[in-house]
Amino acid sequence: MSYFDNKVPPKREDRLNAVIAHQDSICGLARKGKGGKSCLIDDGERGFTQGTICLLLPALAMLNSLPDNVVLLHSALGCGSCTHSQNANVRMGSNARRGKAQDGIWLSTALDETDVISGGEDKLERAIIEADRRYRPASITIVAGCVPGIIGDDIDGVAQRLQPQVSAKLLPVHCQGFKTKIWATAYDAVYHTIGRNLLVEKGVAEYTPQDELEVLREQERLARTVNLMNVSSMGRVDEQELERLLASLGLEVNVFPVFAHPDSFVKATRAALSISTCPTHDDYFLGYLQERFNVPSIIKHMPIGIENTSLWIRDVAKVFGFEEQAERLIAAEEAELREALAEFRPLFQGKKVFVSAGEFRALATARLLQEIGLEVVGIRSFHHDHFAEVEYEKLAREAKTDYVVDIANVQPFEEANLLNRLKPDLFLGHANGNMTAAKLGIPTHVIYNTGLAYIGYRGVYELARRLHRQLSNPAYNRNLAENLRLPYSDAWYEAEPFSYLNTRGRSVNE
Amino acid sequence: MSENFVERARYLCSLGGAAATVTALPGGIPILHSASGCAGNFAWTQNGGSGLQVGGYCGGLTVPSSNVQETEVVFGGEDRLREEITSTLKVMKGGLYVVLTGCVPEVIGDDTFAVVNDFRGEGVPIIGAVTGGFRGDSYWGYDLVLQALVKDYVAKGAAKVKGRVNLWGVVPYMDPFWRGNLEGARHLLELLGLEVNSFFTSADTLGGIREAGSAELNIVLSDLYGQGAAQVFQEKHGTPFVTTSLPIGVSASEAFLRQVGAALSLDPELVQRVIDREKRHYYQILEPLTDCYNDLDLQRYAVVVGDANYAVALTRFLADDLGWLPVLTVVTDRVHESGQPAIATRVERLASGFSTNVVFESDASQVLGHLNRVWPRAAGQKYYNSFSPAFVVGSSLDRELALQLGAPHLSVSFPVANRAVLDRGYTGFRGGLRLAEDVFGQIVANR
Repeated sequence: MSYFDNKVPPKREDRLNAVIAHQDSICGLARKGKGGKSCLIDDGERGFTQGTICLLLPALAMLNSLPDNVVLLHSALGCGSCTHSQNANVRMGSNARRGKAQDGIWLSTALDETDVISGGEDKLERAIIEADRRYRPASITIVAGCVPGIIGDDIDGVAQRLQPQVSAKLLPVHCQGFKTKIWATAYDAVYHTIGRNLLVEKGVAEYTPQDELEVLREQERLARTVNLMNVSSMGRVDEQELERLLASLGLEVNVFPVFAHPDSFVKATRAALSISTCPTHDDYFLGYLQERFNVPSIIKHMPIGIENTSLWIRDVAKVFGFEEQAERLIAAEEAELREALAEFRPLFQGKKVFVSAGEFRALATARLLQEIGLEVVGIRSFHHDHFAEVEYEKLAREAKTDYVVDIANVQPFEEANLLNRLKPDLFLGHANGNMTAAKLGIPTHVIYNTGLAYIGYRGVYELARRLHRQLSNPAYNRNLAENLRLPYSDAWYEAEPFSYLNTRGRSVNE
Repeated sequence: MSENFVERARYLCSLGGAAATVTALPGGIPILHSASGCAGNFAWTQNGGSGLQVGGYCGGLTVPSSNVQETEVVFGGEDRLREEITSTLKVMKGGLYVVLTGCVPEVIGDDTFAVVNDFRGEGVPIIGAVTGGFRGDSYWGYDLVLQALVKDYVAKGAAKVKGRVNLWGVVPYMDPFWRGNLEGARHLLELLGLEVNSFFTSADTLGGIREAGSAELNIVLSDLYGQGAAQVFQEKHGTPFVTTSLPIGVSASEAFLRQVGAALSLDPELVQRVIDREKRHYYQILEPLTDCYNDLDLQRYAVVVGDANYAVALTRFLADDLGWLPVLTVVTDRVHESGQPAIATRVERLASGFSTNVVFESDASQVLGHLNRVWPRAAGQKYYNSFSPAFVVGSSLDRELALQLGAPHLSVSFPVANRAVLDRGYTGFRGGLRLAEDVFGQIVANR
């Protein structure tokens, strides 16, 4: 039986033994990978924790991008208000792809005290019917937050009951934040509903080519069409870079699923290959595409950095037998890029950098930073699972010291303590995650922003260019540090950075 | 307004408003007893809605949070909360710690106050507030934090001090212009010689908040926000309160000064002197706009979309100060029917004699429908009295409406995604000048 036969996808703690609380070093994690023991890392617990995000946020980043879709949050009023910032991505993204900045449509059933006691299913039913009539969308994603998870509302049952009465396709998505610590479960939650509901032909019969030549052409086109998976970690500029590289191998690209119309999702089942840019994102769904539709996939390297981009291209080329073509492309691209990077290298040389992001993003970016001449002195990965072992090995090979790796779902108090000791010259962190380093006076740069280029060869150059700009005048953060203080006690800076790891319950890391 | 959902809610939940409010207090450290994602959700929301302001001394992803999981849902979260508070006191340096509960611990029935009171008993500066998201919106969360302060932090039995007042009704981060608006209102009161405790400006201190019971009057700049706390304050500390609208611009500021003056029985001549001086200054500054106001024909029809504070105050400013024609005023809060008349009457009796149409509607997509009802669309006639030239003052969600009307637009009410706001404010006489600059600036942006 497939996971996709169940209403709710498994959480990553169970499916991948993913962990969020662990202290290690780059060599330590690389060794664990080689010895095949990393699955044995038991997750730790912190006795002090700071707020983070839950799976609802990345799930909404995907769902709000879908044109003609209405996001209906079934939860208390506040869940999903994060969309106010994600909406900027929806506007920019729709402008870049369709020439018009468009707001997403997100609704909330705003469960109140009465609903908590008597259940929210009736309210949800009425909301679905009204949303269908008011917006006439292609799909309504019914996203459940924590409250329905506790009071026992059955969103799948409601969707099933109401589907015959509405014209929109109803898509239940399970995002009960208290149920998983690994917010990457978000991708599984969204893919789960896509897999269960959107990969079948809908309504209109498919266009059937009439003459033989057209049939052959279509077959030939499909034989070189690839799914390029994007769960919202790449902006249009990054998609374009990968499309450029894949097109130069003669491949046609179907970007999936962000900003794709729900009615077009079925195209993904006809592609010759699915290519992931990040194993943290897509493994759950790619397994299903393979199993159910026989679409093979590649999910290994993240095309961030020179080496990783080239490895990513080689893997794709191999599937189609385009190795020679790929080598020529890689050689030309790398040579051109290395020459262009030369002007930035002198400023980077010998500078120390700390990187923080989702595991794969952090590791691939760290590798990029090594390549342009910076020295990595610390990494914080938001979680850890076995897919990343190969990346830790790559980094360990080039590491000058056996630097710290903090597996933490943000937890800036550990970061403040670590940065105060390591005193890096540069910090790269996730959205809303550069504040700590900035107030310590460290030059900072955002590691993920859909308006900026990060991916492929172009991403290396553009990131280097931006870092060069940051380092050329870090006065903004320096001024902050001279005039503000972080809210941590002096005693905390004196304490060991991992003092609160495993001070509560559960097992100790091996 | 839909009965069944809220479209693109222009607020967070009560926990979100409460957390922002504690962050805005001097030395305030929020401790969330909630699921792990709440804090991040608030940070992302402020990022997109609060004019580029996220957190402060302890906000955003820095806030301590118990991050309850399934284990706590099954076994209860009180032990976890106790552990989190103990650790917080060691790691975080603050003046006041405020435990705020989210949906999950409340639904499972954790006794948060039992835990908080143990720490209070040991002399820790800590209070708690029950702010689960299903209890209401972020404006109510602000009120709940104020109520907690009034009940458990403000010292009891303080002797009243003549000329000392507390100032509420502007909600940190939910009003992106909160700092400027509080300072502007504070400045007005200081012109009358009053000593003002406004809780959230850089001039305020925790010591001052503790002594807030000595105020002879509480001034609430809102028909909704802070009303609950003002009532609790009256019961606990015997200080009466007056409710005013947000004093934006010259007419509203004048009325505000007179209302406060009357409530405190101040010398009417003093009040008049202050008003005369400020108006003289205001009109001196406005004077050189006169040619361009006329030459460029800067009078506009307008649609105003905003929260209960702004919808009223902006409409009044446009009609009474600028001489514009705001024909539709959309109040975006989900106001209970019983509370609607108090808000509506404020714009039904404007000094200019102009009257607007008030609707209560949270959903941006429905505003055009309301406008079509009050201003019928063209029906193919040769001569048509069109809704033009027009202007939309609202939130960044109302850009779509402005596009449809072919009108310039200014974001003032949450969410403000497309402006950078630090300490700009629109209250007071000078605030009116700022707002005039901003709306006229939008009209001439392509000049």
